[in-house]
Amino acid sequence: MLDYILPCLYSLIACAAFCIVYNLRGKVIFFSSFGGALGWLVYLLFHFLQNDVTQSFLAVVVISVYAEIMSRIFKMPVTVFLVVGILPLVPGSGIYYTMEYSINGDGAAFLNAGLHTLSIAGAIALGIALVSSSVRLIYKISARRKCVRG
Amino acid sequence: MNYDELVNTALDAGFYLLQYGAETYRVEESMQRILVAYGVENPHVFAITSCIIVTIKDGEGTPYTQLRRILHRATDLGKVAKLNDLCRWVCSQKPDFVLAKSEFKKAAAAPEYGFWFQAAAYGVIGTFFTLFFGGNARDAVIAFFCGSLSKIVLDSLAKFYSNLLFNNIIGAAVIALIAFLSARLGLCDNMDKTIIGPLMNLVPGVALTNSMRDIISGDLIAGITKLTEALLIAVAIAIGTGIVISGLRMVFGM
Repeated sequence: MLDYILPCLYSLIACAAFCIVYNLRGKVIFFSSFGGALGWLVYLLFHFLQNDVTQSFLAVVVISVYAEIMSRIFKMPVTVFLVVGILPLVPGSGIYYTMEYSINGDGAAFLNAGLHTLSIAGAIALGIALVSSSVRLIYKISARRKCVRG
Repeated sequence: MNYDELVNTALDAGFYLLQYGAETYRVEESMQRILVAYGVENPHVFAITSCIIVTIKDGEGTPYTQLRRILHRATDLGKVAKLNDLCRWVCSQKPDFVLAKSEFKKAAAAPEYGFWFQAAAYGVIGTFFTLFFGGNARDAVIAFFCGSLSKIVLDSLAKFYSNLLFNNIIGAAVIALIAFLSARLGLCDNMDKTIIGPLMNLVPGVALTNSMRDIISGDLIAGITKLTEALLIAVAIAIGTGIVISGLRMVFGM
């Protein structure tokens, strides 16, 4: 149980500090860093998949949906919630280990870690793209329906 | 109507939005909405990360074009949100241009958190990401100093408008230097975790997010520019830590 709560708590606090860096104020700080904790919880809950690229993708999809909902509630740009929320998923450790293997001269491990880092970045990008284009499509369809009826 | 002033007002809005890290499509859309609100038919706005071009035609068909360069950028989501609200207010209320411009300027000059508070926030980010990635309490304490010091170094570099690649190389190098030396002195146990935590301060999360949102909204050029930025930052981080670690390993013979 603690294995789930502690990392989520750490990411919550780290994301809240990121909100300070990005000059956010008030209760938005809590709601946007909550996205980070939520994303990591989803990542951990799908641990049984044993595939961190898929886990990252699923987490990003949840964060993006959360960000879209929050941006409607607070009437703020989606990025405010999205940028902070995905931070725990951004492969900082991947970049580091890729570099380390490259210094050690371990070519195979370097390529492996580099491609893995790229795939996680790709999964994040794909998750964001998927959700925001679906949301845009839904908006356009509902706007057209209103036009036809009106 | 004074079309010059209208273009200027719209450009002010776009300029500040882009400067503080809004997505390109948001900049284009906000400017277009402002221009349409004041009765311009079919305004053309083109924005990429470093420049905005806008052309409108007045009632007689005389074109007005302006271009504005964005040279220095920062990420300040609080200001983006405020400017976004202001754009909506301008579209609905149509205030006169002097008032609108002064409001935009006021929003752009809104207060930021104090420097030392921000440095502490960088430290806290380092600490908690180190814990997050599995470091222990001793690593986390060192990570706090790495994070705060990287902010101090980055800010002093920013005063000289140093470029993105160099900034991130130096920032990452400072973090790696402190972590390596503390590990040598026995102040922390896992050097890798102590470096990765503060490194999250530099990681290109904003560039990655914005590039994707630009690409899906059809701004391919802006999206690819940001994607390149994200890749460059990632490479710079790797170079910065890499140089320091391999250099120090040579010196200390590890």
